[in-house]
Amino acid sequence: MSIEEQYRTRAKELLSGGAVKMVIGYGKGSNAKRRRPIFISSADEVDRLVLDDACITNLSGYLVSEGLLSDEKRVAVFLRPEGIRAINILAAESQLDAEQIVIFGFDVAGNEIKALKGINVEEFSDVIDSIKEGAPEAAEEELFEKIEKMSPQERFSFWQEEFAKCIKCYACRQACPMCYCRRCIVDSNQPQWVNTSSHTLGNFEWNIVRAFHLSGRCVECGNCDRACPVNIPLRLINHRMAEEVLGAFDHFAGTSKTQEPVLASFKKDDSETFIL
Amino acid sequence: MAKIGVFICHCGENIGAKVDCTKLAAAMGEHPGVAVSVEYKYFCSDPGQESVKRAIRDNNLTGVVVAACSPRMHEATFRKACAEAGLNPYLCEIANIREQCSWVHTDNDQATEKAMDITRSMVEKVKRNNKLQPIEVPVTRRALVIGGGIAGIQAALDIANAGQDVVLVEREPSLGGHMAQLSETFPTLDCSQCIMTPRMVEAAQHPKIRLLTYAEIESVDGYIGNFSVRVRMKSRYVDINKCTGCGDCITKCPAKKISSEFDCGLGKRTAIYTPFAQSVPNIPVIDHANCIYFKNGKCKICSKTCQCDAIDFDMQDTFEDIEVGAIVVATGFQVQNNTMYGEYGYGKYPDVINGLQFERLASASGPTAGKILRPSDGVEPQTVVFIQCAGSRDPSKGVRYCSKICCMYTAKHAMLYAHKVHGGKTHIFYMDIRAAGKGYDEFSRRAIEEDEAAYLRGRVSKVWEENGKLMVRGVDTLLGRPVEIAADMVVLATAIIAQPDAKEFAKTIGIGYDEYGFYNEAHLKLRPVESSTAGVFLAGACQSPKDIPDSVAQASATASKVLALFSKDMLEREPVVATNNEATCAGCWGCVLACPYNAIEQKDILDRSGRIIKRVASVNPGLCQGCGTCVTFCRSNSLDLAGFTERQIFAEVMGL
Ligand SMILES: Cc1cc2nc3c(=O)[nH]c(=O)nc-3n(C[C@H](O)[C@H](O)[C@H](O)COP(=O)(O)OP(=O)(O)OC[C@H]3O[C@@H](n4cnc5c(N)ncnc54)[C@H](O)[C@@H]3O)c2cc1C
Ligand code: SF4
Ligand code: SF4
Ligand code: SF4
Ligand code: SF4
Repeated sequence: MSIEEQYRTRAKELLSGGAVKMVIGYGKGSNAKRRRPIFISSADEVDRLVLDDACITNLSGYLVSEGLLSDEKRVAVFLRPEGIRAINILAAESQLDAEQIVIFGFDVAGNEIKALKGINVEEFSDVIDSIKEGAPEAAEEELFEKIEKMSPQERFSFWQEEFAKCIKCYACRQACPMCYCRRCIVDSNQPQWVNTSSHTLGNFEWNIVRAFHLSGRCVECGNCDRACPVNIPLRLINHRMAEEVLGAFDHFAGTSKTQEPVLASFKKDDSETFIL
Repeated sequence: MAKIGVFICHCGENIGAKVDCTKLAAAMGEHPGVAVSVEYKYFCSDPGQESVKRAIRDNNLTGVVVAACSPRMHEATFRKACAEAGLNPYLCEIANIREQCSWVHTDNDQATEKAMDITRSMVEKVKRNNKLQPIEVPVTRRALVIGGGIAGIQAALDIANAGQDVVLVEREPSLGGHMAQLSETFPTLDCSQCIMTPRMVEAAQHPKIRLLTYAEIESVDGYIGNFSVRVRMKSRYVDINKCTGCGDCITKCPAKKISSEFDCGLGKRTAIYTPFAQSVPNIPVIDHANCIYFKNGKCKICSKTCQCDAIDFDMQDTFEDIEVGAIVVATGFQVQNNTMYGEYGYGKYPDVINGLQFERLASASGPTAGKILRPSDGVEPQTVVFIQCAGSRDPSKGVRYCSKICCMYTAKHAMLYAHKVHGGKTHIFYMDIRAAGKGYDEFSRRAIEEDEAAYLRGRVSKVWEENGKLMVRGVDTLLGRPVEIAADMVVLATAIIAQPDAKEFAKTIGIGYDEYGFYNEAHLKLRPVESSTAGVFLAGACQSPKDIPDSVAQASATASKVLALFSKDMLEREPVVATNNEATCAGCWGCVLACPYNAIEQKDILDRSGRIIKRVASVNPGLCQGCGTCVTFCRSNSLDLAGFTERQIFAEVMGL
């Protein structure tokens, strides 16, 4: 039985037995290479679920839709390892109760689909640890290396050019499971820290704020740069920040549902004497 | 409409020599919203403050900017002046054009430019300042004194004698600290035990002092007036309520060969022990690591001997939470381990000892009953060499600073030796003789003139053993020639260092420390007994190396600070606290973790039927110290800090 079929069967069982109220998975999209999220609440619909190498979107963000989990019922969701890490972060940041989430874990290697064993997020810690151990590379490693080798001036103008394209549509924010705030800092206008118009200053402000707010939190699922209508390689900035926090604080985002946020925690034995 | 008054202070030459104050005043006078812009030589002076008050009244000012020195100097001064003129004090801000401008720049024109930027940005901030009212919090009238050396005892007694409650916590089994170990004390040569023991007893019996020995501080939370402290009572294995202090157990304990910490390794003690005969309380403890029963499950001789059934091998550490309003830290010092000076042979030759060991030899209650005898063979040494600054003033191996007391105690040692060993010879290698203090120079002169201490100005390069003698090779720089002395004993005046756990402990109580681990005072000159944390005071050698008179003086000073604090029912606190916008808070609890003062709690927002709609962060204004950490953390920008609101900061930045 293919994994797709196995997961359809499992979804059917869970829905018909009432163990979960909804399954969030992938369905057919507008063309053969596109998958769109589907939300199934009846066992009859499970045949709409698709699982293949085109299923790349991180679906975890849908779980924090207003009110979805407030009835304390369980919801199942199809997730790749990055999505599973996202569940840990959302749980650590109190945005959801990990007990409520039933995971259909999978990974894609080439065009091969691999099932990841487990139901609750804790059961995937081996998978996550092995990603951390494997020193993950950036999505576009070649471009990343090229940027790394640039002088600070060159790098600045590279990003300046990229950010110049930004139209401040905030699709990157909407697509990111970590951007769950009810009011984003860019929407706060008393004072208006981030300039609303899409010119160089405002674009820089926005993209740098985004990078900081995601450092130690981004799981590199790529939702943001796939959503970006002007193709800014956003994930590379986040990858750089991820390397930074891993090197400086041994922090790899989303290893457990009780992981302390890297920018809010401090250790008493920190060698920095300014910490009282 | 804003009517801001700008007051530009010359600070004598401090600002006036670099910043063109007239130009600055003129420029600020042009700035929108500024009603008055004037300069003056010293605004902090009486007439200066009067002119500010007058300007406020005459012009109905809505805000004040004083362009002067750091707000740490005079913010309070000018805010008070504003309040006296009827303006809410939080509508007054300081533009620092001294430390951040005139003192650090050489070019007058550029300094003036910069002073304009700084002042203008403050004017923009003040336009958005809000009236704030001080927060009142109650004061718990009970003090915690940590450390039962002379400093801690003195502070505890002074506070208790003024009628306030004190909890005195000492981590050793007995009160006393280092002073209990000393023989006689400079500059009067009175017996240390004789003046110390009565103090210890007085502290232990004082109705206002609760003494907790063999106890350690686990954690400190809260803030000035309202600290909650968790104390760990280490298990003594002896019930203090049953034990009468007869000491039978100590005599019978078969583990007798344990090196005595109190005698600095020169004497032995048992596994159940009191550090010294006059210990307060006179109740033994069992040394878990060395007790035969704890090692191999057999013995319990002490418990069979005890008439009072006081020994309990099952005793566990217990914890107690106490509420206090003020904390005095009097945790003292340690002497440095001299083994780092391999060339002096400390640790290698038993007759090379340190000053504290010499105190034990000279002490009537010490391991030799006050006779100066060599540790190696118990023979009276005929020639003793003292080496001063063994670790102090030595940036390469030891510490950079002067340990302050070693010159004096070495002179004392030479005298005590001369009094005890007639005909004995002393040689003292020194760098300088630092004898500043009442009666101190006279004291060291006496050592030279009456007790024939031979001072040699120079350093020692090597100590080695030859034919049963300790050969000391050094240089006499005044005569310009090398010297070699055949000695029977060598005494090193070891550096005074911070307690080994001083830095860790500072983090537990939340105070600052210097690179060596000595605790930082709030201001070296003007606030020498306050720590950087409000409500926590420093006494004795934990702040810097000190002798007894200085330790006692500082201890009494902390007591007066504590009593001043306790003289009020309510404390006024700065209203600079964070507030949270519950509508936009995402409930991520990052701020709860980030807040170093545990001031943020989780709060449930319920609907009418009591169901939780939302969980948000909520700042307790009593606990918040206004540090702003949470504000910088919050991604949704929900937190804001009164007095430094985002609107104010934004205006300040844009004003630059
Ligand atoms: C060799 C030598 C000779 C000296 N001779 C003289 C002299 O003749 N005249 C003179 O004026 N001065 C002399 N001094 C200096 C004198 O010893 C000090 O000035 C004095 O002991 C300082 O007192 P204190 O209470 O600050 O510290 P300490 O005496 O060190 O007492 C500190 C106390 O705090 C306790 N403590 C530490 N940490 C904790 C903790 N975390 N929790 C609870 N308790 C804690 C310790 O156990 C100790 O009991 C001499 C010093 C030395 C080394
Ligand atoms: S920033 Fe982009 S890559 Fe990172 S978690 Fe958000 S959407 Fe995924
Ligand atoms: S998705 Fe792209 S264009 Fe839109 S705001 Fe983000 S970076 Fe800018
Ligand atoms: S950090 Fe901000 S969003 Fe998160 S709980 Fe605190 S106030 Fe709310
Ligand atoms: S400002 Fe924020 S972080 Fe600082 S003490 Fe107050 S609540 Fe805590």
